[in-house]
Amino acid sequence: MRLIWWLATVGAVGLISIFLSEQGALVPVRNVHLTISSPVEGVLRDAADPLEDIYTSITDRGSLVRENEELRAQLEELEAQLAEQQGNEQTITELEQALGVRTRRPDDQLLAARVVAQDVSGQKRMIAIDRGTDDGLDEGMVVMSGAGSLVGTVTAAYEGYSWVRLITDPDSSVNAQVNTGVAQPRPVATPEVITGGGSPTPSPTPSPAPDGEPGATAIRGVLKGDLRPVVLLDLLPPDADIESSDLVVTSGLGGNYPPGILIGAVKSVQQRPESAFAKASVEPAAKLASLDTVLVLINFIPARLESP
Amino acid sequence: MKYAAAAVIAWFVAVANVSGLAYISVLGVTPDFVLIFACCWAVVRSEEEALIVVPLCGLMRDLAGSDPTGTAIIGFAPIVLLASFAHTRVIESDFPPAIGAVAGGTLIFLVFQSLVLGATGHDIAVWHLIRSVIVPSVIVNALFTPIIYLPVRWFSPPRPLAMQGGRRLTATLTSRS
Repeated sequence: MRLIWWLATVGAVGLISIFLSEQGALVPVRNVHLTISSPVEGVLRDAADPLEDIYTSITDRGSLVRENEELRAQLEELEAQLAEQQGNEQTITELEQALGVRTRRPDDQLLAARVVAQDVSGQKRMIAIDRGTDDGLDEGMVVMSGAGSLVGTVTAAYEGYSWVRLITDPDSSVNAQVNTGVAQPRPVATPEVITGGGSPTPSPTPSPAPDGEPGATAIRGVLKGDLRPVVLLDLLPPDADIESSDLVVTSGLGGNYPPGILIGAVKSVQQRPESAFAKASVEPAAKLASLDTVLVLINFIPARLESP
Repeated sequence: MKYAAAAVIAWFVAVANVSGLAYISVLGVTPDFVLIFACCWAVVRSEEEALIVVPLCGLMRDLAGSDPTGTAIIGFAPIVLLASFAHTRVIESDFPPAIGAVAGGTLIFLVFQSLVLGATGHDIAVWHLIRSVIVPSVIVNALFTPIIYLPVRWFSPPRPLAMQGGRRLTATLTSRS
């Protein structure tokens, strides 16, 4: 009898907590907890880094060898293309100057944040970063890797701490496009970012191959995560001419992501005659499983946050 | 005092689980050390303590993670029921019941967690959830149980036998004078 009463009490308290949590009423409690736990999490994560390296080198040895071989092959191919690209780059720059077009966004402001925790439930793909509303973060803001490829969006922002939903999370949905006929992304400028306090400074963000490049076409679709390391690009035209290693970038449709952020490369394409749409598996450019530092694009206000 | 100690340990385990230990990935999942700790405590120690410590572990897990607060408080509650079976002392050792409680507790918690996530608007891929999350988690959490069980066992007093006169069967036959 005592157990039944206990279960009823715990059930009631839990349900009320879930309800209050969904209403945002428990944010102060989380803020207090995160204020206490953030430094400890940072210390523990730093302490675990060497162990992580050892563990990863043991468990991922096979995939690392394969990846190394693939990268060597890609490097060889890319070096051969580099000379040609350098000439094209100069031409594009001259054309941009002549037309007054800015394909890069020099006004973007990026805030560097450390990854301090990650969700371990297995049902979500989320990470926690050590920046929050005190640093100007808000829900919906776009998060990128240190190299400038898409990582995800901020889903919950607390005072000094935020949760970021990765693009591999089942709830993640990104309007994306495949840039076909593009052999290599345009050179990515190393972003100038804010690492400490103070106001953000303008910095360039990476931009992929522009749609206007000769031979390049953009095929649009919707990128969805499903907990696997690769993400699924769905709703592609059934006759889409997509090949493995084509680059996938944000399309900017819907206004929740700025256009042109690199997401990854096509790994495989599924085109079935009976299916109305083609699908493609996309390997994210960012190493989502081992992120240490990310960049938050703080001056891009997603459409869902803009006042009507 | 023991509840304060349990709360501090649960908090530390929860924080370590999402930060320093988050890189441990076996069969594609990360062991849930908070759940394992709650199960071990509930099995090894008394039911009175489990009634307090298990919800505390749930609260700590909720605060350290991204789930809505309350998910693990409810999701961990069946652990107390599972542990109560262990307290019937069908076998002498606490270890097999602890493994069983961890496996059962993981299964129930993940099912409840997916229900909560589904109810709060998250996408749940049922087949993928079963194949890639629930089954591996049950196995992995059970495999990692000894790491938590042994310290909990060492710092706990031996449990008295439940059956009155149970020792008589193994006692020496020398008469007391």
